[in-house]
Amino acid sequence: MSDVRVALRVNGRAVEATVPARLGLADFLRDRLGLTGTHLGCEHGVCGACTVLLDGIAVRACLMFAAQAEGGDLWTIEGLHADGRIADLQEAMARHHGLQCGFCTPGFLVTAAELLAEGGRPSEQEVREALSGNVCRCTGYQGIVSAVLETARHRADRGDGPRDGEGAGRSLPAG
Amino acid sequence: MTAVGTPLPRREDARMLAGRGVFLADLAGPGTLHAAFLRSTRPHALIHGVETAAAAELPGVTAVLTAADLGAATVPLLTRPDERFVEAAAFAMRDPRLPCLATGRVRYVGEPIALVLAESRHVAEDALELIEVAYTDLEPVLDPALALGDDAPVLHPHLEDNLAARIACAFGDVAAGHAAAAVTVEETYRMGRHGGVPLECRGVMARPDRRTGRLEVWTSSQIPHQVRTAICAATGWPEDRVRVAVPDVGGGFGTKANVYGEEIAVAIAAERTGREVVWVEDRAEHLVAAAHGRDQVHRARLSVDAEGRILAWEDEFLVDVGAGSLWVAGIVANTAIHLAGPYRIPAFHVRGRAAFTNKTLVAQYRGAGRPEACFALERSLDHAARRLGLSPAKIRRRNLLTGDDLPYPVPLPYRDGVPISYDGADFAACLEDCLRLVPEAEVRRLRAEHPELAIGVGVACYVEATGRGPYESGRVGLTTSGDFAVATGAAAAGQGHETTLAQVAADALGVDVCRVRACGGDTDAVPYGVGTFASRSAVLAGSAVHEAAGRLRARARALAARLLDVPAEKLETEPDGFVLAGTGTRVSWRDLAAELAPGGRLELEPALDEPALFRPPTVTWTMGAHVAVAGVDPETGLVRVLRYGVAHEGGVEINPMIVDGQIKGGVAQGIGGALLEEYTYSDTGQPTSGTFADYLLPGTCEVPAVAVRHRHADTDRNPLNVRGVGESGTIAAYPALAQAVDDALGAGGPGVTATPITPSRVLALAEDVPARDAEAAA
Ligand code: FES
Ligand code: FES
Repeated sequence: MSDVRVALRVNGRAVEATVPARLGLADFLRDRLGLTGTHLGCEHGVCGACTVLLDGIAVRACLMFAAQAEGGDLWTIEGLHADGRIADLQEAMARHHGLQCGFCTPGFLVTAAELLAEGGRPSEQEVREALSGNVCRCTGYQGIVSAVLETARHRADRGDGPRDGEGAGRSLPAG
Repeated sequence: MTAVGTPLPRREDARMLAGRGVFLADLAGPGTLHAAFLRSTRPHALIHGVETAAAAELPGVTAVLTAADLGAATVPLLTRPDERFVEAAAFAMRDPRLPCLATGRVRYVGEPIALVLAESRHVAEDALELIEVAYTDLEPVLDPALALGDDAPVLHPHLEDNLAARIACAFGDVAAGHAAAAVTVEETYRMGRHGGVPLECRGVMARPDRRTGRLEVWTSSQIPHQVRTAICAATGWPEDRVRVAVPDVGGGFGTKANVYGEEIAVAIAAERTGREVVWVEDRAEHLVAAAHGRDQVHRARLSVDAEGRILAWEDEFLVDVGAGSLWVAGIVANTAIHLAGPYRIPAFHVRGRAAFTNKTLVAQYRGAGRPEACFALERSLDHAARRLGLSPAKIRRRNLLTGDDLPYPVPLPYRDGVPISYDGADFAACLEDCLRLVPEAEVRRLRAEHPELAIGVGVACYVEATGRGPYESGRVGLTTSGDFAVATGAAAAGQGHETTLAQVAADALGVDVCRVRACGGDTDAVPYGVGTFASRSAVLAGSAVHEAAGRLRARARALAARLLDVPAEKLETEPDGFVLAGTGTRVSWRDLAAELAPGGRLELEPALDEPALFRPPTVTWTMGAHVAVAGVDPETGLVRVLRYGVAHEGGVEINPMIVDGQIKGGVAQGIGGALLEEYTYSDTGQPTSGTFADYLLPGTCEVPAVAVRHRHADTDRNPLNVRGVGESGTIAAYPALAQAVDDALGAGGPGVTATPITPSRVLALAEDVPARDAEAAA
């Protein structure tokens, strides 16, 4: 089985590694880089627990090989937390009781980070649709939806526009 | 200053929001052996041999274990009811002696047969493909009714047939009730097989501690103490040799309130190899091998008078427990008891049986018999109401217990043997509160807003036994720095115990909650425990912590008095410690910690560290009502839940935010079970719901906002005046949604009789109903 070399940026830092070609991106992040905030709930692309941002776009780490992230700019929950850009969302999630066991939480935060980075004032239905690829088994979703709605509203009130390199990344070529 | 009753932000949240939770799969390190299980591909077969040599030789494989290596260990049953209940309810059950790894025969697809230990999960999985199992297929037993027939193959050869348990209980004159009826409705109701499906699958890690000779086991479980008991029962190891602890647990819902062969096998594997061994279940395994739930059929017969008052209620139910259930006693007894509902029922006759079939094991799932019982009774009431031309609300008003009836004795013993007495306040008033959550004007508005949908309203009531024993233990200690550490036997899986139990302890100690740190789920922290399930932790663990904290405070006061050389009665408590009444002389908690340390004046005193055990006199009952508005798309048969409300009669809310969250999360699971989720099998016994593409979970667009109204009712059955709430959101969701669909379609007769209420079932039902338009035009 062949090994491949990957070089990418993870949470703002350059990472280079030699990995088996079949190594999944989620396993790479969790086992090689110790970034265990990226969770695996289904390993076939349905639950969203493994969501990470790759070049500003929310992707499922369980559906990609590490090698496919070559050259990318990848952010996990650990990086988003450390750099403070979703601090408002995290605070709102706690206040609205948007988490119970917390297993789905990183995936929701990353998906919501992508939505919020687009700016604007999404409606409740738009938020629900944007989050519809993530499963939470504990909360019934209302707290999560309220937290995202409130964060979007506060950001819009403050006049935050779309952020470079995130929502704007939607129009950039991936990788 | 009281912490109890405030919506304190959760302690758990900061680490979860930062991606720093510590779940089972996060524990493994370099050098950990990875386990993978070879699972049966046959529903029912004899095993003649398991050829493991090729797998064992694969580079990277350390060992391959089969049943023979495990000494044919079996998983012990987890619950037996009290003798008084056994006698009164003619209860009997059989132990299927479930093996940890299959011995000689397999009984469901997914049953573990062998265990590979390798340097990585990939290698372990590659090795699984090299193992050859020689099977001789046996006829699979898939229908629980046929399973109990005379010529059905017997699954467990040490038993004479496939009967897993039976029960029968009755009161009043049922025949006379039926004879006097204005209307009798008789129907069969089915609740499909589905389950907790926590977002984190199962997982176990075990490590021999070479210094102490002990074995440490981490497992993603709701019941670490029972896992320890089972490991020791299966292996013969003394209990003090084994520590079982839980890391952060990504949801449980009953699926993880079970002991599994995999937990015992991984413990034995670590012991055998002397290595740290981890097994992390994947979703494909989980859907076939983690316990399922529900799967009941009820033949129900309800008689009412011309006003809709219940005269007689009869139900005969059958539970399909698959290849076995360690909780069969709980499931069967819960179902029978909860058929009594929150109503005045003068005559009652219930018979139930559970059958073994060639399907996955069954455990408790949020409600564990309560939703099934509620579905049969509430659907029968709706059916009777239709026959009498009464509204669903009206027939319930005529039967619900009121403040004049309560406390209300039901002439049956509970599972603990104590005669049942509903300790509620006013069930009828709770229904009215519930109905107010979705005003009729709102329904009219929805109808105008959604002309494309047929819109209906459903309401359903339940009563549930919560806070069941036998006991829970707690412990509160003063730390060396003068703060407080709380431990209990109740392991958390998202319920927020680190927060709520700190709130309880803080109030009992009279200190600020920020000084209390609570953790649960470690057999080394408290030696005995039962666990988190059946809406019991706030009641049982909360009360144990309350008692322990009270004791600690009393002992601390005596020690403080000794330091000041005054009688203890002269000392008043304050948040920082104790003050001598009328003076400024104080002994703070930090002073006490310093005096208890070596060199202090209390250095010879035993530490301030108090255990307590709480044993409730019996259960306390939570009642509630659900209202649902559903929109049915007549083209596709899809059901959309548009509005939802729950009013419940509970006790003191330790943390109202968390109570609210339990109810809302429970409703989401109820919606899933009512509309989407089902474990299905082909007619040859192969599972056909092996991925989330087939086993459908409710998402953000399927679960609406849920309005919750809390009504307080005092109980004297625990010192905190609390009632359990963990299952309240789930139990009545099934019948409430079924009635909403009936109402939307204008269904006559029994309407929806089976869950999940899938589009094909909706379309079939709609065909039986004269079209609304035709009716409206007439
Ligand atoms: S683990 Fe990737 S979507 Fe579920
Ligand atoms: S909080 Fe448990 S799955 Fe979302």
